[in-house]
Amino acid sequence: MSAVKKNYVVETLRKAQMIELLAKGKRLDGRALDEHRQLTIQTGLIQKANGSALVSLGNTQVIAGVKVATGTPFPDTPDKGLLVVNAEVLPLASAYAEAGPPDEDAIELARVVDRGVRESEMVDMEQLCIVEGKTVYSVFVDVNILNVDGNLFDATSYAVVSALRTARMPKYVVEDDKVKATEEIVPVPVSKTPVSVTMAKIGSTLIVDPTNEEEAVMDARITITTDDEGNICAGQKGNPGTFAPSEVLQAADTSIRIGEKVRRIILEATA
Amino acid sequence: MVVRKQVIPGDVIARGDYRYGSYVEKRGDEYVALRVGLAEVSREGIKLNPLTGPYIPHADDQVIGKVIDISGFGWEVDINSCFFGYLPASFVFGRDFSPATHDLSSKFRIGDMIAAKIESFDRSRDPQLSIRGPGLGKIPRGEIIKISPTKVPRLIGKRGYMVKMITSQTGCDVKVGQNGLVAVIGPPEGILKVANAIRMIEEEAHAADLTRKVQEYLSGGAGVG
Amino acid sequence: MAEKKLIDENGIRTDGRKWNELRPIKMEVGTLKNADGSAYIEFGRNKIVAAVYGPKEVHPKHEVLPDRALIRCRYHMAPFSVEERKNPAPSRREIEISKVIREALEPALIAEDYPRTAIEVYVEVLQSDGGSRVAGITASSLALADAGINMRDLVVGCSAGIVDGQVVLDLNDTEDKEGTGDMPVAFMPNLNQVTLLQVDGIYSRENFQKAFELAMEGGRKVYQIQRQALLDKFFGGMQTESETQEGDE
Repeated sequence: MSAVKKNYVVETLRKAQMIELLAKGKRLDGRALDEHRQLTIQTGLIQKANGSALVSLGNTQVIAGVKVATGTPFPDTPDKGLLVVNAEVLPLASAYAEAGPPDEDAIELARVVDRGVRESEMVDMEQLCIVEGKTVYSVFVDVNILNVDGNLFDATSYAVVSALRTARMPKYVVEDDKVKATEEIVPVPVSKTPVSVTMAKIGSTLIVDPTNEEEAVMDARITITTDDEGNICAGQKGNPGTFAPSEVLQAADTSIRIGEKVRRIILEATA
Repeated sequence: MVVRKQVIPGDVIARGDYRYGSYVEKRGDEYVALRVGLAEVSREGIKLNPLTGPYIPHADDQVIGKVIDISGFGWEVDINSCFFGYLPASFVFGRDFSPATHDLSSKFRIGDMIAAKIESFDRSRDPQLSIRGPGLGKIPRGEIIKISPTKVPRLIGKRGYMVKMITSQTGCDVKVGQNGLVAVIGPPEGILKVANAIRMIEEEAHAADLTRKVQEYLSGGAGVG
Repeated sequence: MAEKKLIDENGIRTDGRKWNELRPIKMEVGTLKNADGSAYIEFGRNKIVAAVYGPKEVHPKHEVLPDRALIRCRYHMAPFSVEERKNPAPSRREIEISKVIREALEPALIAEDYPRTAIEVYVEVLQSDGGSRVAGITASSLALADAGINMRDLVVGCSAGIVDGQVVLDLNDTEDKEGTGDMPVAFMPNLNQVTLLQVDGIYSRENFQKAFELAMEGGRKVYQIQRQALLDKFFGGMQTESETQEGDE
């Protein structure tokens, strides 16, 4: 069952400070309403993985690893490979995280990031086909959250996209009716760079890239993912608050604009 | 003049400046219904009589409940609400009560029905009950009838008119709990008549001539449909 | 690979509808005897039951919230509800949908009026055909009103999407699977506040707005049916207003 959870409690004095600043268009850490925290991306650090990326978005830190294997395709898409995105908040990531199977927050996180990547058609699934109907590449992207300080959605998404953009896999050929790995290493077939931008609504103000404190106080959250052409390819409203219809459109415009800025950072880090 | 309106949650009952009661929210100059019910707008203010919802205890309410647990210091009572009621043993045995000298089950056992009063209810703990007052205490025999708590005002009637009519015409003692439970004590034919009258009230609570219909039935007129 | 056409040359969809038409909808309130509140909805071929238990005591006790009700929600699909039998154990999809449904209903509930209690919402999909979560939200809203929980407004849901490059209203299962976009939206109609929004598929900025506004417009039509379901159960189908002199019964 989905249920309301007890959360990290923000001191009322701090909350009052936050709201006072927001009215002036500022935030506790000095950022503008539509500014994201410092984003650093490091790739290729896990040699045993086919691809990897360590992302820091402010103090939120996540690591994504790509593993490529071969598998059988789904019966209704015999000519397409498989892509599975998973996310887990490690118990060491925060005082409030516990060991155990993924809870509804982790499941939502994984599924929203997965949709952002999948719907954007970032990975060319048909190029992942080796033998139609029998053998395809299976691309697994697993994300471990190392430190929680808000906005796991964007940090996880940037890590997945960066890891996929720099992932490499062995080329398989069919020889004597058998699928064999060759010595040749090729990049995982990616084309686009989807970028997610998460906004929190506090009172009637939308802020980009909320910290843990801002999330503890927010009424609602919205994550919108855009592609290189400024199209919207995924979106999710979260938390039991609401958005006016005009705020939804405002969020769409902000995510197109800020998404473009973040895309440049990702492209540079994964060139 | 009274304007009566049927409303559902989110409906605007009236605009202007009024006093208002439960189940109504003021938004600017609009008064919005929070429940399905019958709204009344008059000079006195806005009142919403809900047709739905559980019994929420209020201090001084008379309730009928079932004893479901006994601890060292009191009885836990199911009062047909989202909270269990608690009857402290000291309220029954007096201030010199002690678990060593008084046996709670000698007074009320698990399964016993009692008529009680909500002594206090302040949202931070379960409602406290007492049996101080006329007609309160264990219900020794008779039948318990359950109706929707929202129909209780109709069953009682203006200044108790309806329930007095029922008791006088059936020879039964009828204790109405605000929580929707009704204890009926009397001869079997009397109890049957009371039960039918109550069912009538529950089904036609919104009818304008309900009192006349019930009066007719009780005085041996039309049968219950 | 030839693409199956989902909209023909006359603008007619696979089930005979035009781009801005809703599927046939049926709603009934109070269908389950034991639940404190319940409702049944048919939305096209979706058949969904929603039930509410509460306010009630919280179990386990340590989950109790001191100042408000604990809202719980479970969205579940019956194994026979889809083409290929679905394993009855909760899937990740059902867990996510349970969460977004809860978050869509909560803004309408005045949870502070019921401290230290639990309010449980169950959405059971008996047959699924695209748009089950918004239909589930619409039915849950009725079940909550039926149970008599204080609500600021009803919550109504509707979806829109992109099929064959066109923005259309209320996708059925085929359109959901083979189209290029799906956007479920839920909102409180009188307060005009959005409580659920999910976007799946590629939308230009223009289509995003078109689809979003189309879903809201569709939702307002669904709201009329939702209101009527409550009027049918409680007021014999009609909403009336009367004036009387004081002192009348």
